[in-house]
Amino acid sequence: MTNPTPKKIRQQFADTVLEVGKEDPNLVVLIGDISHFILQPFAQACPGRFYNIGICEPTIVSMGAGMAKAGLYPVMHTIAPFLIERSFEQIKLDFCYQGLGGNLVTVGSAFDYANLGCTHHCYDDWALIGALPNTEIVYPASAIEFDTLFRQTYRNPRLTLFRLPEYQHKQAFSANDIHFGKAIKITDGGNLTIVATGPHLQDALDAMAELVSMGWEPEIVYVHTIKPLDTELIRASAHKTQRVLVMEEHVRSGGLGDSVLRAIHDLGNVQFSWIGIPDSFIREYRSYQHHCEALGLSRDGLVRQVQAFAST
Amino acid sequence: MSENNNGLRKQIVRMVYNAKDGHIPSAFSIVDILELLYRKYLRVDPKNPNWPERDYFVLSKGHGCVALYAVLHQCGFLTDQDIDLFCRPGGILGEHPDCTKVPGVEASTGSLGHGFPYAVGLALGLRVKNMVTNKIYVLVGDGECHEGTVWEAANVANNLQLGNLCVVVDWNGSAAQLMPRDDLPAKWRAFGWDTQVVDGHSEAELRVALDRIEFQPYGTPTVIVAKTVKGKGVPMLEGHGIWHHRIPNETEFAQIMEALS
Repeated sequence: MTNPTPKKIRQQFADTVLEVGKEDPNLVVLIGDISHFILQPFAQACPGRFYNIGICEPTIVSMGAGMAKAGLYPVMHTIAPFLIERSFEQIKLDFCYQGLGGNLVTVGSAFDYANLGCTHHCYDDWALIGALPNTEIVYPASAIEFDTLFRQTYRNPRLTLFRLPEYQHKQAFSANDIHFGKAIKITDGGNLTIVATGPHLQDALDAMAELVSMGWEPEIVYVHTIKPLDTELIRASAHKTQRVLVMEEHVRSGGLGDSVLRAIHDLGNVQFSWIGIPDSFIREYRSYQHHCEALGLSRDGLVRQVQAFAST
Repeated sequence: MSENNNGLRKQIVRMVYNAKDGHIPSAFSIVDILELLYRKYLRVDPKNPNWPERDYFVLSKGHGCVALYAVLHQCGFLTDQDIDLFCRPGGILGEHPDCTKVPGVEASTGSLGHGFPYAVGLALGLRVKNMVTNKIYVLVGDGECHEGTVWEAANVANNLQLGNLCVVVDWNGSAAQLMPRDDLPAKWRAFGWDTQVVDGHSEAELRVALDRIEFQPYGTPTVIVAKTVKGKGVPMLEGHGIWHHRIPNETEFAQIMEALS
């Protein structure tokens, strides 16, 4: 079942904080001069709880921590490299070390802002945030995933990164399918586990027929919570299929692939493969789709990678 | 006044001498300010450090923390044992203040340029929660004012009209060692702050400046640029020489204690 007219995840972010903010007087939103217009309904419905702080991301993060200290639930929102990479020390010290809860909501992660180059790319965010204690990482690639997971986690005493992708898969979920920290088994398989994240769930779904025709029985495990990872489901699937392939828009080191390897390393006789961003900067100017194709983060790239399993 | 805080200064020297770690001159330049704030201005309760109605003090210049420990001990937040275990296994006091361990410490600082923007968020957060009587004081170093986040936060705080916030700058000349064009009061005025310049070792001048502040949820935030002397109180420690992070030997320890007697 697919969703033919998906709502933008960023719009869902604005809609969700509006609804939650009406109910919870402790929700506050700090932005770095993006999404200003779509957040106006929140600003009007929740006066005094919306602040466009401007282009000063480290200060936004420190301020968010101070607001958490005052008993509020801060949401800090701007473009990924500026909120994560530039403000990393503020995240580490002001939130994580002090044990304060907050929510980082980013857009422009990985290479979503394809032609803007390295300044606006951010494909190490999971490695950075995941390395810090008291953190969680959520990667919702459909509107309902964001809405459900935000409501489940925004008040907890940890720092939660919500990485909002520009593109999304077409798989339709209900809220009952979505539980923080739990992966979703999309298909039952026998000899291949595909651990898919973000919009690349769609590549796995689109490749199913061809893979089946080639004799594969793919088990698609969709991961919306990167940290904490549902190692139980992944281990069970790997144990069954003996072959695991991970697709992620993240650099090799510290990404989901590393986490999956740690989860399954003691199973024995499990083949592992990975499609993501190699240990190099993306320097070419091209569209998001063309970046994906070049990296193999595509239906065809997935099929090619699976074929490589057969030759080993 | 400085001479009245020689007991605190002795405590600071004893802690650093015993632990063989700590910044004596940086603590001496702020101890008079901290002692006055805790004695006369901060509404805090050592028996209930997280009292919701309290005022907040954030030591953004975290490396001056031995002065804060000495003052918190004098106020009753810390025990003699806490002081004795400074920088020792099992203790709660390290070379930078840690709010996850130390009662009365509101922020874990040490990396310069964090405590002030954090305090700006705290001031805004308390206003959002309609907690209009809490006052927020934050002390930054003049060297810390090299950090860009200090000026990001100064800009934001003025634009948000955080009238519940007072910054004290420890203007002990550290910044001018590197960048002698150091007109700090002019910078704060340019950022729109109500700026007062006082002798940071004069209780009378500090009290005039602190008494002037009309804390209110909305209003121009205040900065007190306090002219101080690094190592104030002991001539051999004063200035910007080798004593920034030096530990006195036995002879020097005796000389310093004698100078404070």
